[in-house]
Amino acid sequence: MTATATAPEGGKRGAHRRRNRWIGLAFAALPLAVYALVVLVPLAQSVQFSFYKWDGVSASTWAGLDNYRTFLTDPVLRSTFGHVLVLIGFFALLPIALGLLSAALLTRARQPGMAVYRWIFFLPQVMTTVVIALVFKRIYAPDGPLNTALRAVGLDSFAKTWLGDFTWALPALGMIGTWVTFGFCMVLFISGTSAIAPELYEAARIDGAGPVREFFAVTLPGLRGQMAVALTLTITAALRTFDLVWVTTHGGPGTSTLTPAVALYKAAFQNPQVGLAAAIGVVMALLCLVIAVVITRVAERD
Amino acid sequence: MISRTERVINYVVLTVLAALVLFPIGTFLAAALSPDRSGKPVGLADFAWANFATAWRDAEFSRAMTVSMVIAVCVVAGQVVLALLGGYAFGVLGVVGDKWLFPVVLLGMMISLEAIIVPLYYQFRTFGLTNSLPGIILIHLGMGVPFGIFWMRAAFRALPRSAFESAELDGAGPLRMLRSMAAPMARPAIYTLILLSFMWTWNDYFLSLVFLHGDNQTATVALGVFQGKYVTQINLMAAGGLIVAAPVLVLYVVFQRKFISGMLAGAIKE
Repeated sequence: MTATATAPEGGKRGAHRRRNRWIGLAFAALPLAVYALVVLVPLAQSVQFSFYKWDGVSASTWAGLDNYRTFLTDPVLRSTFGHVLVLIGFFALLPIALGLLSAALLTRARQPGMAVYRWIFFLPQVMTTVVIALVFKRIYAPDGPLNTALRAVGLDSFAKTWLGDFTWALPALGMIGTWVTFGFCMVLFISGTSAIAPELYEAARIDGAGPVREFFAVTLPGLRGQMAVALTLTITAALRTFDLVWVTTHGGPGTSTLTPAVALYKAAFQNPQVGLAAAIGVVMALLCLVIAVVITRVAERD
Repeated sequence: MISRTERVINYVVLTVLAALVLFPIGTFLAAALSPDRSGKPVGLADFAWANFATAWRDAEFSRAMTVSMVIAVCVVAGQVVLALLGGYAFGVLGVVGDKWLFPVVLLGMMISLEAIIVPLYYQFRTFGLTNSLPGIILIHLGMGVPFGIFWMRAAFRALPRSAFESAELDGAGPLRMLRSMAAPMARPAIYTLILLSFMWTWNDYFLSLVFLHGDNQTATVALGVFQGKYVTQINLMAAGGLIVAAPVLVLYVVFQRKFISGMLAGAIKE
């Protein structure tokens, strides 16, 4: 890598490489400038904003850690963490379990028609969340397919306005997340299993391992990297849920489906407590970062 | 070898799961084609194709779709230029200080919009860039730089070293090398970047909701407003939803391989 390593004409080529690196900086200058302007500077300002009280119009006043304290102690705002935990169950754990199960059932499934299935499983990934929200608003509607099906099998008492129910709105939203992410997890895991050396499966079989032991001894360890990716993406998606909630419930009924991102939006633009909104954003960013780092570390540890 | 039974079980599992994905979309499609405002499914002969025209007119989608298209096309074009420049710099030329610059760029892939949206909005308001298309295009571009550099850097590094060396011997400068050799050779990666960038920009809701109002509404935001107004006309709401989803869905039908491989590779990163 280093410039001096290219003997015998190392001096000349080294100087050439060094000049290239300055040209490289000139090439990268424009993208880096746009990135700094839109991402890095506002990121620093978010931290700064979070220490002030500001209504977006009049002068701001120093608030110290008050905004963070509010976020962590206000009962309504604190409840958003609980909601995120529920959503993680639906966005991350359930899809990953489903994905693993299907990857286990489908191991070595290199058969015709896989491309079509893959296309279907990935479909929710390319649809805009607003449309997905509308699709499920229909499913969950009082006269929608879900309630019709429940009534058809005589479970009339279970039929309800799913997204308007204090107990059921959050799990109902969670199931949408499950629907969106399980196909992605599946495709990820199936492509992961096809990369596991077939000799490992043969060896396990010679040792007399049944399908269950084979899964725990060969498939699961082989999918470590994919597990880390799936966990990171889905957990941060659960933490950041906005579109889905905003289009379907606005955080209601009451505050039963309020997420940190919705609380941030309300604080930033509806009833301006700009400092509080910035603090929520900073906490969310830190949590995303910590989640990503921890999961990667755990996955890489042998 | 896989036995026959195993093969049958595979298909059964796959089909059940595929049905779970398709069922909600199917009911939505049926609702969009229903002449009944409750969205009750009807037979093939009674399909109300006029719902799409009605929804298009009532929601004034022509304006919102144009806004979305203008934003997406500008972002995609700008994104490709920025990614080519940055990717070529980090992947081929090397950059002074890249030991710390590159990690800072990668960090951007983990920074969520929520972490920057508040100051971004109030700063842009000071400069009169809220509710303006150039403003939101600039934000999309800045947010996309990390993935763009990451993606094109990897693509350029995968090109054979010898091609660059012989071009250099011919006396080609870095800009000409990028234009006439590296970029054409990395075409598959550029196409994937175009598709992903278009999808991300088109599907955006949060940024458009915060930054654009009134005549500048994007299709996704307009759809959100439309569905709030037409709660009792399920068939029109569903038709509107399909109109907004259509551009990306069409691209997905045509370029499915690129979408799937790009999103998997983008997810796995390093």
